[in-house]
Amino acid sequence: MWDQVAQDLSHSMTGMLSRLAGLLPGLVGLVLALLLSALVTWAAVAILRRSLTAVHFDRRVAQWGFPALAELSPARSPTLLVVRVMACLLMLLGFLIGISAFDVTLTSELAFRVFAYLPNVLAAAFVLAAGNLIARFLARSVLIGAVNMNLQYARLLSAGVKWLVTVLSVAMALEHLEIGGGIIRLAFGILFGGIVLALALAVGLGSKELVSRSLDREAGKAASQNFQEPVGHL
Amino acid sequence: MPVDAASQAEREQIERPDGADLVVGILDAEHAGESGAILAMAREALGGLTGISRAVVLCNNGVLSPDPVVPEAQGADVAPSVILLNLQAPDAAEPHPRSRFQAYRSVLATAAKLEARACAVIASAPHAAMPQWIYRLVQPILELGFDLVAPHYTRHRMEGLLNTSILSPLCRALYGEHLQNPMGPDFAVSAKLLQLLLDQDPGVHRGNGGNVAASIASTAICGGLQVCESHLGARAQPPTDWMNVSSLLAEVLGPVFLDVERQAASWQKIRGSRPTPGFGSPEEVTEVSGVVDVHRMIESFQLGAQTLQEIWGIVLPPTTLLELRRLSRLPPDHFRMPDELWVRIVYDFALGHRLRTISRDHLLRSLTPLYLGWIASYALQVETAGPAEIEARIEQLSKAFETSKPYLVSRWRWPDRFNP
Repeated sequence: MWDQVAQDLSHSMTGMLSRLAGLLPGLVGLVLALLLSALVTWAAVAILRRSLTAVHFDRRVAQWGFPALAELSPARSPTLLVVRVMACLLMLLGFLIGISAFDVTLTSELAFRVFAYLPNVLAAAFVLAAGNLIARFLARSVLIGAVNMNLQYARLLSAGVKWLVTVLSVAMALEHLEIGGGIIRLAFGILFGGIVLALALAVGLGSKELVSRSLDREAGKAASQNFQEPVGHL
Repeated sequence: MPVDAASQAEREQIERPDGADLVVGILDAEHAGESGAILAMAREALGGLTGISRAVVLCNNGVLSPDPVVPEAQGADVAPSVILLNLQAPDAAEPHPRSRFQAYRSVLATAAKLEARACAVIASAPHAAMPQWIYRLVQPILELGFDLVAPHYTRHRMEGLLNTSILSPLCRALYGEHLQNPMGPDFAVSAKLLQLLLDQDPGVHRGNGGNVAASIASTAICGGLQVCESHLGARAQPPTDWMNVSSLLAEVLGPVFLDVERQAASWQKIRGSRPTPGFGSPEEVTEVSGVVDVHRMIESFQLGAQTLQEIWGIVLPPTTLLELRRLSRLPPDHFRMPDELWVRIVYDFALGHRLRTISRDHLLRSLTPLYLGWIASYALQVETAGPAEIEARIEQLSKAFETSKPYLVSRWRWPDRFNP
């Protein structure tokens, strides 16, 4: 009986070791793929960084009308942002190639699924980035406009607009990522509605000021500043 | 610059081979329906000038008779022949300054087409003073060989505030000419200056929203042309719209800062300034006693200092922000904005406009609380001042702009360098 037990144990150990040995080429392949992709990434990043610096990419981004991109970037440098995104993508690609080297149905399917999911991730990232830019731009517009109208709750209005757009873009990004489904829609509806209600209350409570300014404007523009002599800007 | 505002019949008149010696654009809706009166005023103005055989008057009120051309019928051999043409009525949907800029472009384009020796634009003349204004603007060009005649108005202490606080001292510091109103709105230009203006890159004009008035003075000075001022007296002004100061700042300062960028190579070489030759005699300022309530402007400044620090911080250095914060805590009676601080703010905003560190529209509109703060400070300073003291105050500000010019030059050349 003990011989049989020893034989079974020896069989299972041999099987286990042979299966582990079967994984080794895949593991070596993964490591090699990662090393290779790190090398390629290093070279690509160096070339990309030099090229972008040579064409003054940071300044050009600001000139093209995307100054907010600098604020989102590490060290306020859009060049650094582009370079890091490129590095992450190349490393991810190397990892997926390495995973495929296992030649196991499961890993191949995983790689396939990741590749199939990648467009969703990119679309969500784009929606988030665009939403962030639009939110900042609108928040700034509202803040400056409200301050110029002398509204004391200018900051609140600006924050409200920023959160409205941000919540909208996050909900859209999650929709693209197919995460949450109905819960996200429901949460978005509640959150969006809550922000709108809060803004409506804030504006409603503070509208006395706004109405009095509008009446001032109707009553006489110069008179609103209580000047009793000719006043002009140009 | 196309003659886009003229009708077919008007174009035929404009394209007649005999041209015109003088083109006068009258861009004031107050003169609507007064074709006869305008012709009479033009004739009166031209009576004192020699060497004018044909003059064209362009009026942009758009509500004269439906006939586009009203030729002067009598005395073509004796007096100059005067032709009145209508420019297209301004589009009601278009903001006022933009329609005004279009009208400027049309008048200058017509003058170029007719190869006029001089072109005058009258935009704010009181009715009774129109002939004298035309004469005073055109005479130095036709008889004394000047290329640009800018207006010098008789102003009350609280008139022309944007000119006093930014436009005039900026022009003096950058281009070295003491012009009270570098952007007009009334002015006259010679054929030489007209040609320079038209030769400029048309893309620049599109870029600056078509506001050709913003670049007339700088083009003349940087082009080495003769510039002078003419004392015109008091001007007619529409009531001030205090609710839209930010739009006004964006409309006016945007093209001015663009022009500063365009002329950067020239103004960096100019050192010092000189008084501009003046013609006519300045009129006495009638004293107006009134209470100036600046509390709301100070409130606006304080609100800006509380809430716009983040935006101002993008263009202003930390020391300026610190001074502004300190200023916002002062009681209204002691509220005084130092000239050096104001000058640095203007220069930093001009630089921020060039660098596009934030949207240009946001940048210019965020200047509004600072501008209102300056007005409040100025109003408190000149509350009991007489004309001579006000002049001295304006001179002091202009000198501060000149003294701080190295700061602008330094920041312009090395914008990333730390400036305490």
